[in-house]
Amino acid sequence: MRVLLIGGGHSAYFAANAIKDIDPTGKLIIIEFTSEKAEVLSKTFPFAEVLHQEIDEVESYIKTNASILDALIAATESDSLNLRYCKVGRENAIPLIIAILNNPLNYEIFAKEGIRYIINPYSFIPVELSEILGSATNIIYKLPAGGVMLASIKIESEEHMHKLRKELDKSNDISMIFVSRSGEIKNSLSDLDLGGRLYLLGSEKKIKNILKMVGE
Amino acid sequence: MVNAGFRLCPLNLYTAALRIVWMEISVIFPTKNREGYVKRAVRTAFKARAVGEVIVVDGGSRDKTLEIAEREGAKVIVQSDLIYPGKGVAMRDGAYLASCDVLVYLDIDIRNMTPEFIEKLANPILEGEADFVKGCFERAAGRVTELVAKPLLRMFYPELARFRQPLSGEIAGLRTLFYKVEFERGWGVDVGLLIDLHKLGARIVERDIGYKDHDMKPLHALTDMAYEVAGAILRRAIRDQKTDPEWAERYLRGVRAIDLGLESGRGFA
Repeated sequence: MRVLLIGGGHSAYFAANAIKDIDPTGKLIIIEFTSEKAEVLSKTFPFAEVLHQEIDEVESYIKTNASILDALIAATESDSLNLRYCKVGRENAIPLIIAILNNPLNYEIFAKEGIRYIINPYSFIPVELSEILGSATNIIYKLPAGGVMLASIKIESEEHMHKLRKELDKSNDISMIFVSRSGEIKNSLSDLDLGGRLYLLGSEKKIKNILKMVGE
Repeated sequence: MVNAGFRLCPLNLYTAALRIVWMEISVIFPTKNREGYVKRAVRTAFKARAVGEVIVVDGGSRDKTLEIAEREGAKVIVQSDLIYPGKGVAMRDGAYLASCDVLVYLDIDIRNMTPEFIEKLANPILEGEADFVKGCFERAAGRVTELVAKPLLRMFYPELARFRQPLSGEIAGLRTLFYKVEFERGWGVDVGLLIDLHKLGARIVERDIGYKDHDMKPLHALTDMAYEVAGAILRRAIRDQKTDPEWAERYLRGVRAIDLGLESGRGFA
């Protein structure tokens, strides 16, 4: 793959390392706006081609190279720039446009502009806090593509447990495991007990439907 | 990048006319929880001559500021870091989202805002007279300006001491200029831009935009503001080898201890 990563900050650091692991033989081009940082980046990521460009030059670079790029990742420290570059990438038909947000509150703004892959690095804060602090229902993970969802449900009453058993008995296309209050991992509906957690994996639609049926 | 002066000859008049015809303005409003002001501000901005877009940069409003701004046709973005004070982050994000040649920054809560506010700020640029315009208005300069900014500017950048309101947030400038400087993240952004753009060789003028009817900053914000303004000037003075870091650190500690009227309730007029 030929990937263009724009930005040389915190998010870009993790993105560059991930790309190297995912596609060791691919071509990674990193664009950074300050010459000092670009120099440091080229030493930090010797596997990448690091370019120093002015903010306004990046758009023409994207336009010129769009036909040979497989993916554009906008990971600067400004969501305004990320949005600008994603839009240019989309207009020039780069197959994969990925934005790494600085502020999750910009998610909808990016989505409205037609950016399909929007990474929110803070999305795990509420998820993990919900698990740790014992929230009743928690959507742990929603895959960016494919509509797959992983949900965690705390068994709070006999009635709740009964409803869940009834609904899950009818659903063959949902995978589940159960973690009892004592921390044992089980995989049968008959093992459900009060205070434990049920983890469901399936399509977003089906999982949401079950949560609705059991009153979550 | 920066024009080397502007003489009144036919060619220059022609160039000036072209600039007026071709240059467009992005009006940028950094804001937070200002649903009561946003509709009027965006509509007024669109009425000004040569305005091509209006941008609202939000600091994480809990009201309908963003929704109204979008409905009124503004481009919207939430500032990349929700820090306090994050004025500089909002200004930077506004500049980065803008696509017109000239940027005009205004407070959104100016109750008597008219299109002329924008035109007065942008005209010196459209007419080729300046690259950066600092707005000033009809009121005595504030405490942080008089007690902190002006003395430090006189000391380290005397050529900038002529500005009546060096901390004014009503500014205009060529968009490309804003891409050549680093924005301070907080209250130090306005004076930081003034010093850095001066250092870049930009032609800077000050323009009186008249009476500005708006909410004053709450008193509790002044101490933080004083500290950040002093920090922004001193960091540049160190960078430009006009002072040593030790002296700057001592001065900053002093600024922290200034009584701006918060504790005693006396303050200064």
